[in-house]
Amino acid sequence: MTNRMGAWRRREILAGLAATAGMLAAPAIVRAAPSGKPVKIGGTLSLTGFLAQTAVIHKIASEIMVEEINVRNGFLGRPVEFVLLDDQSKPDVARSLYEKLITVDKVDLIQGPYATAPILAAMGVAQRYGKVIIQNSMGIPKMQTYERAFPATPFGSEPDKTYPNVILDAMASLPTPPKSMVVLTSKFPSAQFMALGMKEQAEKRGVKVLMYLEYESGNRDFGAIAARIKEANPDFLWVGSLGLESNQVLESLRKLDYAPKNHFHLYPAPGPLALSPDGNNALCSTFLEPAEPFMSRPGVARIAGEFKEKATKANLPYTTIDAQAAGMVSQWQMLEAAVNGSGSLDDEKIAAWLKKNRVTTIYGSLRFDGPFNHGDASQLIKQVQDKEWRVVWPKEFAAPGVALKGA
Amino acid sequence: MADLLAIEGLSAGYGRAVVLSDVSLRLAEGEALAVLGRNGVGKTTLIDSIVGVTRRISGSILLGGRDIAALPPEQRAALGVGWVPQERNIFRSLSVEENITAVARPGPWSLQRVFDFFPRLKERRHQAGSSLSGGEQQMLAIGRALATNPRLLLLDEPTEGLAPIIVEELLRVLTALFRDEGLTGIIVEQQARKILPITHRALILERGQVVHAGASGELLADAAMLERHLGVTAG
Amino acid sequence: MPSATLLGQALISGVLAGGMYGLLALGLSLSWGLLRLVNLSHFALAFLAAYLTYELGTNYHVAPWWSAMLIVPAMFAMGLAQHWIFDKFKVNELASLLITFSFAIILEVAIQLYWTADYRRYETHYSTMSFKVGPFYIPVLELILCLVAGVLAWGTWLWLRKTYVGKALRAAAEDADIAAAYGVDHKKLAYLLSGMGAAYAGIAGTFIALIATLAPAQIWTWLGVVFAVVIIGRLGNPLGALFAGMLIGASESIAMAVLSPAWAPVVSFSLLIVILLWDPEWL
Repeated sequence: MTNRMGAWRRREILAGLAATAGMLAAPAIVRAAPSGKPVKIGGTLSLTGFLAQTAVIHKIASEIMVEEINVRNGFLGRPVEFVLLDDQSKPDVARSLYEKLITVDKVDLIQGPYATAPILAAMGVAQRYGKVIIQNSMGIPKMQTYERAFPATPFGSEPDKTYPNVILDAMASLPTPPKSMVVLTSKFPSAQFMALGMKEQAEKRGVKVLMYLEYESGNRDFGAIAARIKEANPDFLWVGSLGLESNQVLESLRKLDYAPKNHFHLYPAPGPLALSPDGNNALCSTFLEPAEPFMSRPGVARIAGEFKEKATKANLPYTTIDAQAAGMVSQWQMLEAAVNGSGSLDDEKIAAWLKKNRVTTIYGSLRFDGPFNHGDASQLIKQVQDKEWRVVWPKEFAAPGVALKGA
Repeated sequence: MADLLAIEGLSAGYGRAVVLSDVSLRLAEGEALAVLGRNGVGKTTLIDSIVGVTRRISGSILLGGRDIAALPPEQRAALGVGWVPQERNIFRSLSVEENITAVARPGPWSLQRVFDFFPRLKERRHQAGSSLSGGEQQMLAIGRALATNPRLLLLDEPTEGLAPIIVEELLRVLTALFRDEGLTGIIVEQQARKILPITHRALILERGQVVHAGASGELLADAAMLERHLGVTAG
Repeated sequence: MPSATLLGQALISGVLAGGMYGLLALGLSLSWGLLRLVNLSHFALAFLAAYLTYELGTNYHVAPWWSAMLIVPAMFAMGLAQHWIFDKFKVNELASLLITFSFAIILEVAIQLYWTADYRRYETHYSTMSFKVGPFYIPVLELILCLVAGVLAWGTWLWLRKTYVGKALRAAAEDADIAAAYGVDHKKLAYLLSGMGAAYAGIAGTFIALIATLAPAQIWTWLGVVFAVVIIGRLGNPLGALFAGMLIGASESIAMAVLSPAWAPVVSFSLLIVILLWDPEWL
């Protein structure tokens, strides 16, 4: 007998399309008080999709910075307007949106998006139009090959070599330094890049790497991986995780009644890891934390206060400013310094100024004249102690009374 | 006795094609009607119109005095229209027993009684519908329709495609149903000589219209009429 | 070669993780198999239920089993509402994909608007509890999940086989027009089934809230593997869905223990292709 196969009826498609339209978020515009023709700065963030939780933080940081800049002199005396679009965590969307921002919206300058893949997509567009692009989260510096792309975070040019050694130095300072380790990493490119560096440096320094394991990003069940870690029982567990994966690994280990001795996490969601019952003594890299000596840097305490206020208003469960938000703050500080320093909105002049000058950002004084426009690496190590992240290494950055805790 | 089924001026078809035009017929309780005719004269359309799977164009179909012409098939079935389709349309993924119980409604035709009537189905009750032979499928189609306890049973070319020995068995079943049990029903058939002895009355369709209506016995005796409309030679 | 303890532990955690696949696959398999509707919003409904469980648990201190009593019927109602749209627009299999995808996106956006994109974690003292059998650890919550999934799958399987409604649904799935001519009111049954599917999503959501940390984009985490589970388990077969879920969960886990963990996602789809080509009778 007949069934309901056959051609799609127009009405059915319409119903689908009408519903789909709901997902297209209108561009959010962070607007300054009008005085003169605004300088338009375009950018995307992953307001929806799998990177969305980071974008909220960056959006708030951007709002704070645009307001701050407008309270000061704006850009060359003109107010700043940030045209923010949603790249849905997809590089191809980011690519077309930057194209649109530059050609259709005719923005004066652009700001980079978040995470390596969207940044690479945006960088390609920026290069075609000769725009300066500043980013804070491209984990593989050597991929930043465009001469007008600048890092807002002090990764240094070879973090896969410098980074592991900071961690190993910290480990070596413990009363019983780890002799063996397990490297577990997501296959996400920036994590894998660091994991390979970690393995190499550890072996060079005589720490035995018992196991090197890679898992696919989006891995759902860590039970079997946890069983392997437990069986290897390393002195030090290094996890090349993104987002929630660290929480998942630790929870799976707890279900096996196992707690790792010393454990480091690459790019975890900081709030959930700190609050997790399994997060105690977890290590992570950072460039800044809302504590001394960082809060004494100019403007930091004020920005942290504003961040807390806005994050609370936006109903975020974790309202403390951290290195994530600081990256975006630094991005704006660099652009502000370069525009006003070069006295121009011309991308060529801005780029030339950045290469020649240092900028004092929330991260301290940064330079951009090294390989791939990177300057010095200044990684710090933080640790979860009493449900809060505390900088523990190098020792001079640790708050009074705070010290690295080993197993 | 009141008519169980009364069709007045029924014109019907599929899509744009009008297959039946202005057909009227009446069927009393306990009566069996043979609908005869060559291929493509509208016999199946007549059955389908009563079941409700054809696009009705005009006319009325009264079942027990109620016009069912505008009702969807499931409501007609609930009012007592039972159907044995030409293709049999067994639910292939259901077992023999499930084919029956999935559509059964309370009444004298319980599962047990259907199985008593068709012992072969009982033997195969747990087999999938798809595993049955053509004859068994036809038995199942009839048993399934009986289990809905219909007031009116419609059979569409029940002997088609069956081996002669199976046809004989089937005719015994139909005789039992319509002669002994006194069911009311319509049997669409090509094989006039086989079906006329079972039914009380007969009508012949040609190009969507009724060209003859009368007692089955008289038609069976009228060789000329059979020859003219159905191409059946005396024998 | 991995030790027997490691293999056993991997098998246990894989089968238990597969219980979640099976539980999510259940409702999807029913609507796809019996209504010919591919309901992508099933995952979004499960997450809505998870967020509601989180909300009630965190802000109002309602235990998840109590909030489930509220949420599961609410999901049933949402299933009915959704089916009203399918019914009204006479949605076919292909269009249902598009429309339910849109539903899912809308729900994702709505969830993000209310709960933000940030991670939400419903902390309970029992979420990572486990007990020891010999050398093996068995997580309590996952075990309960599997038992619930087992009861649901078994119950649904019996319901489809033994009750008039179940058999009528299967008959209508095979041939809706013929079934209607035998008095099966397919429309009414379809509403019932859509409601049930959504209610199952609600039950899955309760467990998701307890086991996982929630973020709106996580809605899509299980999509691929659950589709493989539904197809391997045969459309419309609840027990098949559960067993296929456990089969895939166990295979992924063993692959992670023996080979590289990165092989895990390849396993489910390789298994799917093998089973589609081989098409064994017993599956």
